[in-house]
Amino acid sequence: MSRKTTLFERMDHSTGVKAVESVGRAAMERASLGGRALLLFIDTIYQLPKTARSLPQIFRQIEICGIGSLFVLALIAFLTGMIMALQTGSELLKFGAQNNLGAIIGATFVREFGPMWAAIIMLARVGAAMAAELGTMAVNEEVDALRVMNINPVRFLVLPRMLALIVSMPLLTVIADYVGMFGGALVASYVYGSPFDQFLDSARGILGNLDFYSGLAKSMVFGAIIATIACDRGLHTTDGAEGVGRSTNQTVVASVICVLIANLMMTGFVQQILKPVFE
Amino acid sequence: MNQMTRDQMEAAAPLAAVPADQKSLIEIRDLYKSFGRRHILRGINLDVIRGETLVILGGSGSGKTTLLRHLMGMLRPDEGSIAVHFADSTMRLDRASHAELDAYRDRLGVIFQGAALLNSMTVLENVGLPLVEVRRLPPQVVYEKVIVALQKVYLPAGEILHLKPAALSGGMRKRVGIARAIVQEPELILYDEPTTGLDPVTVSGVNELTLDLQKRLGVTSVVITHDIHAAFIIADRIAMLYKGRIIAIGPKDEFRAHPNPVVQQLLTGSTQGPLTEAFLQGQAT
Repeated sequence: MSRKTTLFERMDHSTGVKAVESVGRAAMERASLGGRALLLFIDTIYQLPKTARSLPQIFRQIEICGIGSLFVLALIAFLTGMIMALQTGSELLKFGAQNNLGAIIGATFVREFGPMWAAIIMLARVGAAMAAELGTMAVNEEVDALRVMNINPVRFLVLPRMLALIVSMPLLTVIADYVGMFGGALVASYVYGSPFDQFLDSARGILGNLDFYSGLAKSMVFGAIIATIACDRGLHTTDGAEGVGRSTNQTVVASVICVLIANLMMTGFVQQILKPVFE
Repeated sequence: MNQMTRDQMEAAAPLAAVPADQKSLIEIRDLYKSFGRRHILRGINLDVIRGETLVILGGSGSGKTTLLRHLMGMLRPDEGSIAVHFADSTMRLDRASHAELDAYRDRLGVIFQGAALLNSMTVLENVGLPLVEVRRLPPQVVYEKVIVALQKVYLPAGEILHLKPAALSGGMRKRVGIARAIVQEPELILYDEPTTGLDPVTVSGVNELTLDLQKRLGVTSVVITHDIHAAFIIADRIAMLYKGRIIAIGPKDEFRAHPNPVVQQLLTGSTQGPLTEAFLQGQAT
Protein backbone atom coordinates (compact mmCIF):
# COMPACT_ATOMS: atom_id res chain seq x y z
CA MET A 1 0.00 0.00 0.00
CA SER A 2 2.98 2.29 0.09
CA ARG A 3 2.87 5.06 -2.50
CA LYS A 4 5.77 6.91 -4.04
CA THR A 5 6.34 10.29 -2.49
CA THR A 6 7.21 13.35 -4.57
CA LEU A 7 10.46 15.21 -4.16
CA PHE A 8 8.60 18.10 -2.55
CA GLU A 9 7.02 15.79 0.02
CA ARG A 10 10.39 14.26 0.82
CA MET A 11 11.92 17.65 1.46
CA ASP A 12 12.77 18.25 5.02
CA HIS A 13 10.25 20.85 6.11
CA SER A 14 12.36 21.86 9.04
CA THR A 15 15.16 23.13 6.84
CA GLY A 16 14.63 23.95 3.17
CA VAL A 17 11.04 25.11 3.13
CA LYS A 18 11.31 26.86 6.44
CA ALA A 19 14.44 28.67 5.27
CA VAL A 20 12.62 29.94 2.18
CA GLU A 21 9.65 30.90 4.35
CA SER A 22 11.79 32.83 6.79
CA VAL A 23 13.66 34.62 4.00
CA GLY A 24 10.35 35.54 2.40
CA ARG A 25 8.93 36.73 5.72
CA ALA A 26 12.04 38.80 6.45
CA ALA A 27 11.88 40.35 2.96
CA MET A 28 8.21 41.24 3.47
CA GLU A 29 8.95 42.77 6.86
CA ARG A 30 11.80 44.87 5.44
CA ALA A 31 9.59 46.01 2.56
CA SER A 32 6.86 46.92 5.02
CA LEU A 33 9.30 48.90 7.19
CA GLY A 34 10.68 50.64 4.09
CA GLY A 35 7.17 51.55 2.96
CA ARG A 36 6.31 52.91 6.40
CA ALA A 37 9.46 55.05 6.45
CA LEU A 38 8.65 56.36 2.96
CA LEU A 39 5.17 57.36 4.13
CA LEU A 40 6.71 59.17 7.10
CA PHE A 41 9.03 61.04 4.71
CA ILE A 42 6.06 62.06 2.53
CA ASP A 43 4.11 63.12 5.62
CA THR A 44 7.09 65.23 6.72
CA ILE A 45 7.27 66.92 3.29
CA TYR A 46 3.56 67.62 3.67
CA GLN A 47 4.34 69.45 6.94
CA LEU A 48 6.94 71.74 5.29
CA PRO A 49 4.57 74.75 5.03
CA LYS A 50 4.47 74.72 8.86
CA THR A 51 8.26 75.04 9.15
CA ALA A 52 8.06 78.55 10.60
CA ARG A 53 6.27 77.22 13.70
CA SER A 54 9.09 74.76 14.31
CA LEU A 55 12.01 77.18 13.92
CA PRO A 56 13.08 77.10 17.60
CA GLN A 57 13.16 73.28 17.55
CA ILE A 58 15.03 73.29 14.22
CA PHE A 59 17.76 75.57 15.59
CA ARG A 60 17.99 73.43 18.72
CA GLN A 61 18.38 70.28 16.61
CA ILE A 62 20.99 71.94 14.38
CA GLU A 63 22.92 72.80 17.52
CA ILE A 64 22.67 69.23 18.79
CA CYS A 65 23.42 67.37 15.58
CA GLY A 66 25.51 69.83 13.59
CA ILE A 67 27.70 71.67 16.04
CA GLY A 68 27.93 68.65 18.34
CA SER A 69 29.35 66.50 15.53
CA LEU A 70 31.82 69.07 14.25
CA PHE A 71 34.88 68.11 16.27
CA VAL A 72 34.55 64.34 15.79
CA LEU A 73 34.00 64.71 12.07
CA ALA A 74 36.90 67.13 11.65
CA LEU A 75 39.22 64.79 13.56
CA ILE A 76 38.21 61.76 11.52
CA ALA A 77 38.47 63.66 8.22
CA PHE A 78 41.90 65.05 9.20
CA LEU A 79 43.24 61.61 10.13
CA THR A 80 41.73 59.97 7.05
CA GLY A 81 43.26 62.62 4.82
CA MET A 82 46.68 62.03 6.36
CA ILE A 83 46.41 58.23 6.14
CA MET A 84 45.27 58.39 2.52
CA ALA A 85 48.14 60.69 1.65
CA LEU A 86 50.66 58.40 3.37
CA GLN A 87 49.32 55.29 1.63
CA THR A 88 48.92 56.83 -1.81
CA GLY A 89 52.02 58.99 -1.63
CA SER A 90 54.37 56.06 -1.09
CA GLU A 91 53.12 54.47 -4.32
CA LEU A 92 53.16 57.73 -6.29
CA LEU A 93 56.69 58.39 -5.11
CA LYS A 94 57.90 55.32 -7.02
CA PHE A 95 56.76 57.01 -10.24
CA GLY A 96 57.76 60.49 -9.17
CA ALA A 97 54.10 61.48 -9.32
CA GLN A 98 53.72 62.67 -5.73
CA ASN A 99 52.65 66.11 -7.00
CA ASN A 100 49.35 64.48 -8.02
CA LEU A 101 48.46 63.75 -4.42
CA GLY A 102 46.16 66.80 -4.28
CA ALA A 103 44.09 65.53 -7.20
CA ILE A 104 43.65 62.11 -5.63
CA ILE A 105 42.93 63.27 -2.09
CA GLY A 106 40.75 66.19 -3.28
CA ALA A 107 38.67 64.08 -5.65
CA THR A 108 38.22 61.34 -3.06
CA PHE A 109 37.12 63.72 -0.33
CA VAL A 110 34.92 66.06 -2.34
CA ARG A 111 33.19 63.29 -4.26
CA GLU A 112 33.00 60.50 -1.67
CA PHE A 113 34.74 60.76 1.68
CA GLY A 114 33.32 64.14 2.70
CA PRO A 115 29.64 63.21 2.35
CA MET A 116 30.22 59.61 3.46
CA TRP A 117 32.13 60.50 6.62
CA ALA A 118 29.54 63.13 7.48
CA ALA A 119 26.81 60.53 6.96
CA ILE A 120 28.57 57.88 9.03
CA ILE A 121 29.21 60.26 11.92
CA MET A 122 25.65 61.55 11.73
CA LEU A 123 24.00 58.16 11.63
CA ALA A 124 26.17 56.74 14.40
CA ARG A 125 26.03 59.76 16.65
CA VAL A 126 22.84 61.63 15.78
CA GLY A 127 20.64 59.02 14.08
CA ALA A 128 21.09 56.55 16.93
CA ALA A 129 20.45 59.27 19.51
CA MET A 130 17.31 60.41 17.64
CA ALA A 131 15.93 56.86 17.51
CA ALA A 132 16.69 56.38 21.21
CA GLU A 133 15.14 59.73 22.18
CA LEU A 134 11.96 59.26 20.14
CA GLY A 135 11.81 55.59 21.17
CA THR A 136 11.92 56.54 24.83
CA MET A 137 9.23 59.15 24.21
CA ALA A 138 7.08 56.55 22.47
CA VAL A 139 7.32 53.96 25.27
CA ASN A 140 6.74 56.67 27.91
CA GLU A 141 3.51 57.65 26.09
CA GLU A 142 4.89 61.13 25.38
CA VAL A 143 4.05 60.74 21.69
CA ASP A 144 0.50 59.66 22.61
CA ALA A 145 0.29 62.69 24.89
CA LEU A 146 1.18 64.95 21.93
CA ARG A 147 -1.53 63.30 19.81
CA VAL A 148 -4.26 63.76 22.42
CA MET A 149 -3.21 67.41 22.77
CA ASN A 150 -3.77 67.74 19.00
CA ILE A 151 -0.06 68.27 18.37
CA ASN A 152 1.04 66.40 15.26
CA PRO A 153 4.17 64.39 16.21
CA VAL A 154 5.43 64.54 12.62
CA ARG A 155 5.32 68.34 12.63
CA PHE A 156 6.56 68.68 16.21
CA LEU A 157 9.21 65.94 16.37
CA VAL A 158 10.13 64.71 12.89
CA LEU A 159 10.14 67.91 10.80
CA PRO A 160 12.71 69.78 12.97
CA ARG A 161 15.01 66.76 13.10
CA MET A 162 14.85 66.12 9.38
CA LEU A 163 15.41 69.77 8.41
CA ALA A 164 18.24 70.04 10.94
CA LEU A 165 20.01 67.06 9.36
CA ILE A 166 19.37 68.25 5.80
CA VAL A 167 20.82 71.68 6.67
CA SER A 168 23.71 70.38 8.79
CA MET A 169 24.94 67.67 6.46
CA PRO A 170 26.23 69.92 3.60
CA LEU A 171 27.96 72.19 6.13
CA LEU A 172 29.64 69.23 7.79
CA THR A 173 30.54 67.83 4.39
CA VAL A 174 32.31 71.06 3.37
CA ILE A 175 34.24 70.99 6.64
CA ALA A 176 35.15 67.32 6.14
CA ASP A 177 36.28 68.10 2.56
CA TYR A 178 38.59 70.94 3.61
CA VAL A 179 39.93 69.37 6.80
CA GLY A 180 40.58 66.07 5.00
CA MET A 181 42.42 67.83 2.20
CA PHE A 182 44.36 69.85 4.76
CA GLY A 183 45.47 66.61 6.46
CA GLY A 184 46.52 65.22 3.08
CA ALA A 185 48.33 68.46 2.19
CA LEU A 186 50.29 68.34 5.47
CA VAL A 187 51.56 64.84 4.71
CA ALA A 188 52.24 65.74 1.08
CA SER A 189 54.27 68.72 2.19
CA TYR A 190 56.20 67.33 5.16
CA VAL A 191 56.62 63.69 4.12
CA TYR A 192 56.79 63.78 0.32
CA GLY A 193 58.05 67.32 -0.17
CA SER A 194 55.13 68.40 -2.35
CA PRO A 195 54.35 72.03 -1.40
CA PHE A 196 50.88 73.24 -0.34
CA ASP A 197 50.38 75.29 -3.52
CA GLN A 198 51.23 72.30 -5.67
CA PHE A 199 48.75 70.17 -3.69
CA LEU A 200 45.96 72.74 -4.14
CA ASP A 201 46.68 73.29 -7.86
CA SER A 202 46.59 69.55 -8.39
CA ALA A 203 43.23 69.32 -6.59
CA ARG A 204 41.79 72.31 -8.50
CA GLY A 205 42.89 70.75 -11.75
CA ILE A 206 40.67 67.74 -11.36
CA LEU A 207 37.73 69.09 -9.39
CA GLY A 208 34.85 70.91 -11.02
CA ASN A 209 31.72 72.56 -9.74
CA LEU A 210 29.79 69.38 -10.46
CA ASP A 211 31.99 67.40 -8.07
CA PHE A 212 31.51 69.95 -5.31
CA TYR A 213 27.76 70.42 -5.68
CA SER A 214 27.00 66.74 -6.26
CA GLY A 215 28.85 65.98 -3.01
CA LEU A 216 26.67 68.52 -1.19
CA ALA A 217 23.49 67.15 -2.81
CA LYS A 218 24.49 63.66 -1.76
CA SER A 219 24.98 64.79 1.81
CA MET A 220 21.51 66.34 1.91
CA VAL A 221 19.95 63.11 0.65
CA PHE A 222 21.94 61.16 3.26
CA GLY A 223 20.64 63.52 5.94
CA ALA A 224 17.04 62.95 4.83
CA ILE A 225 17.58 59.17 4.80
CA ILE A 226 19.13 59.08 8.28
CA ALA A 227 16.46 61.33 9.81
CA THR A 228 13.61 59.38 8.18
CA ILE A 229 14.88 56.00 9.37
CA ALA A 230 15.75 57.24 12.87
CA CYS A 231 12.41 58.98 13.38
CA ASP A 232 10.41 56.09 11.92
CA ARG A 233 12.12 53.49 14.12
CA GLY A 234 11.90 55.76 17.14
CA LEU A 235 8.22 56.60 16.78
CA HIS A 236 7.29 52.94 16.34
CA THR A 237 9.25 51.68 19.34
CA THR A 238 7.47 49.27 21.66
CA ASP A 239 8.53 46.93 24.50
CA GLY A 240 10.25 49.39 26.83
CA ALA A 241 14.01 49.63 27.20
CA GLU A 242 14.64 46.53 25.10
CA GLY A 243 12.62 48.08 22.27
CA VAL A 244 14.60 51.32 22.49
CA GLY A 245 17.84 49.37 22.11
CA ARG A 246 16.41 47.45 19.17
CA SER A 247 15.26 50.64 17.43
CA THR A 248 18.66 52.26 17.90
CA ASN A 249 20.43 49.22 16.51
CA GLN A 250 18.06 48.96 13.54
CA THR A 251 18.50 52.66 12.80
CA VAL A 252 22.27 52.34 12.50
CA VAL A 253 22.17 49.18 10.38
CA ALA A 254 19.35 50.34 8.08
CA SER A 255 20.90 53.81 7.69
CA VAL A 256 24.30 52.43 6.68
CA ILE A 257 22.74 50.17 4.06
CA CYS A 258 20.37 52.82 2.68
CA VAL A 259 23.07 55.52 2.60
CA LEU A 260 25.41 53.20 0.67
CA ILE A 261 22.68 52.22 -1.80
CA ALA A 262 21.75 55.89 -2.28
CA ASN A 263 25.42 56.77 -2.71
CA LEU A 264 25.86 54.12 -5.41
CA MET A 265 22.80 55.33 -7.29
CA MET A 266 23.69 59.01 -7.06
CA THR A 267 27.35 58.42 -7.97
CA GLY A 268 26.20 56.43 -11.01
CA PHE A 269 23.80 59.20 -11.98
CA VAL A 270 26.45 61.93 -11.63
CA GLN A 271 29.26 60.04 -13.37
CA GLN A 272 27.26 58.43 -16.14
CA ILE A 273 24.58 60.98 -16.88
CA LEU A 274 25.43 64.44 -15.51
CA LYS A 275 29.17 64.46 -16.12
CA PRO A 276 29.01 63.89 -19.90
CA VAL A 277 26.46 66.71 -20.13
CA PHE A 278 28.33 69.31 -18.03
CA GLU A 279 31.94 68.55 -18.96
CA MET B 1 -22.45 33.10 45.28
CA ASN B 2 -19.79 30.76 44.05
CA GLN B 3 -22.29 28.61 42.21
CA MET B 4 -22.18 30.91 39.19
CA THR B 5 -21.16 29.23 35.95
CA ARG B 6 -18.28 30.60 33.93
CA ASP B 7 -20.68 32.02 31.33
CA GLN B 8 -22.65 33.79 34.05
CA MET B 9 -19.47 35.28 35.53
CA GLU B 10 -18.34 36.56 32.12
CA ALA B 11 -21.79 37.78 31.04
CA ALA B 12 -22.14 41.50 30.40
CA ALA B 13 -24.02 43.41 33.08
CA PRO B 14 -27.28 44.99 31.93
CA LEU B 15 -26.82 48.58 30.79
CA ALA B 16 -27.38 50.77 33.84
CA ALA B 17 -30.22 53.24 33.18
CA VAL B 18 -29.24 56.91 33.27
CA PRO B 19 -31.37 58.70 35.90
CA ALA B 20 -34.09 60.92 34.42
CA ASP B 21 -32.57 64.13 35.83
CA GLN B 22 -29.13 63.38 34.40
CA LYS B 23 -27.70 63.08 30.92
CA SER B 24 -25.01 60.82 29.61
CA LEU B 25 -21.87 62.43 28.17
CA ILE B 26 -20.52 59.23 26.63
CA GLU B 27 -22.58 56.38 25.20
CA ILE B 28 -20.70 53.24 24.25
CA ARG B 29 -22.72 50.58 22.47
CA ASP B 30 -21.71 47.03 21.44
CA LEU B 31 -18.03 47.91 21.20
CA TYR B 32 -15.82 45.16 19.79
CA LYS B 33 -12.08 45.29 19.16
CA SER B 34 -9.65 42.52 18.22
CA PHE B 35 -5.93 42.50 17.48
CA GLY B 36 -5.38 39.50 15.22
CA ARG B 37 -6.94 36.54 16.97
CA ARG B 38 -7.00 38.28 20.35
CA HIS B 39 -10.49 39.54 21.11
CA ILE B 40 -9.83 42.37 23.54
CA LEU B 41 -13.21 44.11 23.76
CA ARG B 42 -16.22 41.81 23.35
CA GLY B 43 -19.32 43.96 23.42
CA ILE B 44 -18.92 46.93 25.75
CA ASN B 45 -22.11 48.79 26.65
CA LEU B 46 -21.57 51.73 28.94
CA ASP B 47 -22.94 55.18 29.73
CA VAL B 48 -20.80 57.84 31.39
CA ILE B 49 -23.05 60.38 33.09
CA ARG B 50 -22.24 64.06 32.68
CA GLY B 51 -20.32 65.38 35.70
CA GLU B 52 -19.66 62.01 37.34
CA THR B 53 -16.41 60.21 38.09
CA LEU B 54 -16.68 56.71 36.70
CA VAL B 55 -13.93 54.32 37.72
CA ILE B 56 -13.36 51.30 35.50
CA LEU B 57 -11.64 48.50 37.38
CA GLY B 58 -10.09 45.43 35.85
CA GLY B 59 -7.19 43.05 36.11
CA SER B 60 -4.25 42.89 33.73
CA GLY B 61 -5.31 42.08 30.18
CA SER B 62 -8.98 42.86 30.81
CA GLY B 63 -9.08 45.49 28.04
CA LYS B 64 -8.90 48.64 30.20
CA THR B 65 -6.18 50.34 28.18
CA THR B 66 -7.80 49.41 24.86
CA LEU B 67 -11.09 50.93 26.04
CA LEU B 68 -9.26 54.07 27.16
CA ARG B 69 -7.49 54.39 23.81
CA HIS B 70 -10.89 54.25 22.11
CA LEU B 71 -12.05 57.10 24.36
CA MET B 72 -8.91 59.08 23.43
CA GLY B 73 -9.82 58.61 19.76
CA MET B 74 -6.57 56.71 19.14
CA LEU B 75 -8.25 53.43 18.16
CA ARG B 76 -11.29 52.73 16.05
CA PRO B 77 -13.59 49.89 17.03
CA ASP B 78 -14.14 46.89 14.79
CA GLU B 79 -17.84 47.15 15.59
CA GLY B 80 -20.05 49.33 17.74
CA SER B 81 -20.32 53.03 18.47
CA ILE B 82 -18.99 55.67 20.86
CA ALA B 83 -21.06 58.83 20.98
CA VAL B 84 -19.96 61.85 23.02
CA HIS B 85 -22.77 64.33 23.74
CA PHE B 86 -21.35 67.76 24.49
CA ALA B 87 -23.78 70.55 25.31
CA ASP B 88 -23.56 71.98 21.80
CA SER B 89 -22.76 68.96 19.66
CA THR B 90 -22.57 65.19 19.48
CA MET B 91 -19.50 63.42 18.15
CA ARG B 92 -19.21 59.85 17.00
CA LEU B 93 -15.67 58.73 17.82
CA ASP B 94 -16.07 55.46 15.91
CA ARG B 95 -16.39 57.31 12.60
CA ALA B 96 -14.96 60.76 13.35
CA SER B 97 -12.94 62.59 10.71
CA HIS B 98 -9.53 64.09 11.59
CA ALA B 99 -11.15 67.51 12.05
CA GLU B 100 -13.84 66.06 14.35
CA LEU B 101 -11.23 64.24 16.38
CA ASP B 102 -9.26 67.48 16.72
CA ALA B 103 -12.41 69.24 17.95
CA TYR B 104 -13.07 66.41 20.42
CA ARG B 105 -9.52 66.44 21.77
CA ASP B 106 -9.72 70.20 22.34
CA ARG B 107 -12.31 69.36 25.02
CA LEU B 108 -10.42 66.39 26.40
CA GLY B 109 -7.72 66.11 29.04
CA VAL B 110 -5.74 62.92 29.55
CA ILE B 111 -3.63 62.04 32.56
CA PHE B 112 -1.18 59.34 31.61
CA GLN B 113 0.17 56.62 33.87
CA GLY B 114 3.70 58.02 33.96
CA ALA B 115 2.53 61.64 33.45
CA ALA B 116 4.07 61.56 29.92
CA LEU B 117 5.81 64.90 30.35
CA LEU B 118 8.35 65.84 27.69
CA ASN B 119 11.71 65.44 29.42
CA SER B 120 13.50 68.01 27.29
CA MET B 121 11.10 70.77 28.35
CA THR B 122 10.61 72.69 31.57
CA VAL B 123 7.43 72.56 33.64
CA LEU B 124 6.35 75.88 32.11
CA GLU B 125 6.89 74.58 28.58
CA ASN B 126 5.20 71.25 29.32
CA VAL B 127 2.05 72.69 30.88
CA GLY B 128 1.89 75.50 28.33
CA LEU B 129 2.52 73.19 25.36
CA PRO B 130 -1.11 72.86 24.17
CA LEU B 131 -1.63 76.61 24.63
CA VAL B 132 1.44 77.46 22.55
CA GLU B 133 1.18 74.76 19.90
CA VAL B 134 -2.57 74.41 19.46
CA ARG B 135 -4.15 77.65 20.63
CA ARG B 136 -1.09 79.77 19.75
CA LEU B 137 -1.62 82.12 22.66
CA PRO B 138 0.92 84.89 23.37
CA PRO B 139 3.67 84.02 25.89
CA GLN B 140 2.31 86.25 28.67
CA VAL B 141 -1.16 84.65 28.50
CA VAL B 142 0.42 81.18 28.44
CA TYR B 143 2.50 82.06 31.48
CA GLU B 144 -0.52 83.26 33.44
CA LYS B 145 -2.62 80.22 32.53
CA VAL B 146 0.22 77.86 33.47
CA ILE B 147 0.56 79.54 36.88
CA VAL B 148 -3.20 79.17 37.47
CA ALA B 149 -3.15 75.49 36.41
CA LEU B 150 -0.20 74.74 38.71
CA GLN B 151 -1.95 76.47 41.59
CA LYS B 152 -5.06 74.34 40.99
CA VAL B 153 -2.98 71.20 41.58
CA TYR B 154 -1.31 72.79 44.64
CA LEU B 155 2.18 73.03 43.19
CA PRO B 156 4.59 75.86 44.08
CA ALA B 157 4.66 77.39 40.61
CA GLY B 158 7.47 79.84 41.37
CA GLU B 159 9.84 77.11 42.50
CA ILE B 160 9.28 74.50 39.80
CA LEU B 161 8.36 76.53 36.73
CA HIS B 162 11.79 76.30 35.16
CA LEU B 163 12.67 72.80 36.33
CA LYS B 164 12.68 69.83 33.99
CA PRO B 165 10.58 66.74 34.86
CA ALA B 166 13.68 64.75 35.89
CA ALA B 167 14.18 67.16 38.78
CA LEU B 168 10.67 66.53 40.18
CA SER B 169 9.40 63.76 42.45
CA GLY B 170 6.93 61.15 41.10
CA GLY B 171 4.00 62.85 42.82
CA MET B 172 4.97 66.28 41.50
CA ARG B 173 5.35 64.91 37.99
CA LYS B 174 1.86 63.44 38.23
CA ARG B 175 0.49 66.80 39.42
CA VAL B 176 2.24 68.59 36.55
CA GLY B 177 0.64 66.03 34.20
CA ILE B 178 -2.75 66.86 35.70
CA ALA B 179 -2.02 70.60 35.38
CA ARG B 180 -1.24 70.08 31.68
CA ALA B 181 -4.50 68.16 31.25
CA ILE B 182 -6.64 70.88 32.87
CA VAL B 183 -4.86 73.94 31.46
CA GLN B 184 -7.20 73.86 28.45
CA GLU B 185 -10.24 73.58 30.75
CA PRO B 186 -11.48 70.26 29.36
CA GLU B 187 -15.02 68.95 29.72
CA LEU B 188 -13.87 65.34 29.97
CA ILE B 189 -10.80 64.03 31.76
CA LEU B 190 -9.46 60.51 31.25
CA TYR B 191 -7.14 59.08 33.91
CA ASP B 192 -4.92 56.11 33.05
CA GLU B 193 -3.82 54.38 36.26
CA PRO B 194 -3.34 57.69 38.11
CA THR B 195 -1.93 56.17 41.30
CA THR B 196 0.28 53.39 39.91
CA GLY B 197 3.88 53.48 41.09
CA LEU B 198 3.35 56.17 43.74
CA ASP B 199 3.96 55.92 47.47
CA PRO B 200 0.89 55.75 49.77
CA VAL B 201 1.10 59.38 50.86
CA THR B 202 1.35 60.59 47.26
CA VAL B 203 -1.51 58.24 46.30
CA SER B 204 -3.71 59.92 48.93
CA GLY B 205 -2.63 63.31 47.60
CA VAL B 206 -3.55 62.38 44.02
CA ASN B 207 -6.90 60.96 45.17
CA GLU B 208 -7.71 64.13 47.09
CA LEU B 209 -6.69 66.20 44.10
CA THR B 210 -8.92 64.17 41.77
CA LEU B 211 -11.89 64.65 44.11
CA ASP B 212 -11.10 68.32 44.55
CA LEU B 213 -10.86 68.96 40.80
CA GLN B 214 -14.13 67.15 40.31
CA LYS B 215 -15.85 69.44 42.84
CA ARG B 216 -14.25 72.68 41.64
CA LEU B 217 -14.29 72.14 37.88
CA GLY B 218 -17.38 69.91 37.59
CA VAL B 219 -15.81 67.92 34.75
CA THR B 220 -16.73 64.38 33.79
CA SER B 221 -13.96 61.92 34.63
CA VAL B 222 -13.28 58.36 33.54
CA VAL B 223 -10.60 56.66 35.60
CA ILE B 224 -8.99 53.40 34.51
CA THR B 225 -7.28 51.68 37.41
CA HIS B 226 -6.76 48.49 39.35
CA ASP B 227 -6.33 50.41 42.63
CA ILE B 228 -9.45 49.35 44.58
CA HIS B 229 -8.75 51.69 47.48
CA ALA B 230 -8.45 54.73 45.21
CA ALA B 231 -11.54 53.66 43.28
CA PHE B 232 -13.75 53.73 46.39
CA ILE B 233 -12.43 57.17 47.35
CA ILE B 234 -12.85 58.99 44.07
CA ALA B 235 -15.69 57.20 42.25
CA ASP B 236 -19.34 58.10 41.93
CA ARG B 237 -19.85 54.79 40.15
CA ILE B 238 -17.58 51.82 39.60
CA ALA B 239 -17.58 49.43 36.64
CA MET B 240 -15.65 46.20 36.32
CA LEU B 241 -14.13 45.11 33.02
CA TYR B 242 -13.44 41.40 32.67
CA LYS B 243 -12.48 39.55 29.51
CA GLY B 244 -13.55 42.47 27.35
CA ARG B 245 -16.99 42.99 28.89
CA ILE B 246 -18.44 45.21 31.64
CA ILE B 247 -19.61 42.53 34.07
CA ALA B 248 -20.67 44.83 36.91
CA ILE B 249 -21.49 48.51 37.27
CA GLY B 250 -23.12 50.62 39.91
CA PRO B 251 -22.69 53.07 42.79
CA LYS B 252 -19.95 52.19 45.29
CA ASP B 253 -22.13 50.34 47.85
CA GLU B 254 -23.95 48.42 45.16
CA PHE B 255 -20.68 47.46 43.54
CA ARG B 256 -19.17 46.34 46.84
CA ALA B 257 -22.06 43.90 47.37
CA HIS B 258 -22.07 42.57 43.80
CA PRO B 259 -22.57 38.77 43.78
CA ASN B 260 -20.19 38.02 40.88
CA PRO B 261 -17.19 36.02 42.23
CA VAL B 262 -14.89 37.88 39.82
CA VAL B 263 -15.84 41.21 41.41
CA GLN B 264 -15.51 39.76 44.90
CA GLN B 265 -12.06 38.33 44.18
CA LEU B 266 -10.86 41.70 42.89
CA LEU B 267 -12.29 43.46 45.95
CA THR B 268 -10.81 41.02 48.48
CA GLY B 269 -7.52 40.55 46.63
CA SER B 270 -7.74 36.79 47.13
CA THR B 271 -5.35 34.58 45.16
CA GLN B 272 -8.06 31.95 44.78
CA GLY B 273 -10.82 32.54 42.27
CA PRO B 274 -11.80 33.03 38.65
CA LEU B 275 -9.41 35.95 38.06
CA THR B 276 -6.42 33.79 38.99
CA GLU B 277 -7.69 30.92 36.85
CA ALA B 278 -8.18 33.26 33.89
CA PHE B 279 -4.68 34.67 34.38
CA LEU B 280 -3.11 31.19 34.51
CA GLN B 281 -5.11 30.18 31.45
CA GLY B 282 -3.83 33.25 29.63
CA GLN B 283 -0.25 32.38 30.65
CA ALA B 284 -0.67 28.82 29.38
CA THR B 285 -2.04 29.78 25.98
